[in-house]
Amino acid sequence: MEATAFMPIGFGLIVIGAGLGIGKFASAAAESIARQPEAADKITGAVNLPLFLLEGVAILAEVFTFLMLIL
Amino acid sequence: MILGGEKSSGSSVMDQVGENIIHHVSNSDIMHPIVHLPHMFGVDMSVTKHVLMLWIVALLVSITIIIPIRSYLKQKNFIPSGMANAIESITQFIRDSIVAPNVGSKWVNTWTPLMLTFFFFILFANGIGMIPIFDVLGVINRFVLNVPYEADHNFINGLLHGGVTATGNFNVTAALAMITFFSIIIAGTKAHGFINHWKNLVPHGLAWPIYIILIPIELMGLLVKPFALTMRLAANMTGGHIALLALLSLMAIFAEMFHSAAAGIGVALISVPMAAAISGLEIIVVIVQAYVFTLLTAVFVGMAINVHH
Repeated sequence: MEATAFMPIGFGLIVIGAGLGIGKFASAAAESIARQPEAADKITGAVNLPLFLLEGVAILAEVFTFLMLIL
Repeated sequence: MILGGEKSSGSSVMDQVGENIIHHVSNSDIMHPIVHLPHMFGVDMSVTKHVLMLWIVALLVSITIIIPIRSYLKQKNFIPSGMANAIESITQFIRDSIVAPNVGSKWVNTWTPLMLTFFFFILFANGIGMIPIFDVLGVINRFVLNVPYEADHNFINGLLHGGVTATGNFNVTAALAMITFFSIIIAGTKAHGFINHWKNLVPHGLAWPIYIILIPIELMGLLVKPFALTMRLAANMTGGHIALLALLSLMAIFAEMFHSAAAGIGVALISVPMAAAISGLEIIVVIVQAYVFTLLTAVFVGMAINVHH
């Protein structure tokens, strides 16, 4: 069996990982905003940066998977 | 899509769809450039689609940002009017909520101009990818002026090849990330001196075996930062367009699968509203990616200035 046959599984794993991570961020942010609505701006600011870094890792993984397919 | 699809007849619909999608997100062929220019220093200087788009973006940024600011600086009273109002609000947002918290109050005025340049340039380059101006020109060329698709020497036909989002090209974003890479080094050098900046890469006063692991990791991190910036911007801009085109291509695929135009039209009832919704999402992505690139550059520059160990 060729290695590229496992490509869709790789894509799926990436999406599961990124989805779990972003879901945790969103739930934690929503909970803490519900507890302290006045700190909503600070919480959003603190969540933003790690969220984008996480998204960057997921996109890097997808790019590498895609490169493996076409190279 | 219609214009591209007619060209490569003979192969199956799936192949044509794949070719079309790649054709609409990648740069145009260097062998058939829009403007022919001679080789310089062994590099073909011919203008391809993405280079043309970069020039258009530069022109747009000059018209909408530089000219209003110059005229604002010339006036006697410092009350902004018209376009300067909008620019002022964006400038203040970037200075107060992106640059100032990360870089620190001492260096804000040094680094805000660079971040603003990044933000406006990336915003315009991303946003222009959502405006189908060349496709409209192509339709007019084809159906009003009656120029056939095969006419290779027609100027507008030459413009139709390749994608319009210059930031969807990894070379463009790599160049932008190189600016970030050097500005990190310059920021550290200005704040701490050249030798101290490199010493600051790793924490002081640890046991020596830790440095054997830590120094290679930090050196790798130095290169991974701009690499991640490159990939994030280009992959985001390319990915959205691919999703959009894939949804629209479902029409052709279903019509071929069931050998009837009715199946294609039925799928169009679902896939066209979906594509419109994803276009809306794409407009958010355009703004968010410009913001993210600016924010991360500010964070990295701030990390070089405010060393936490």
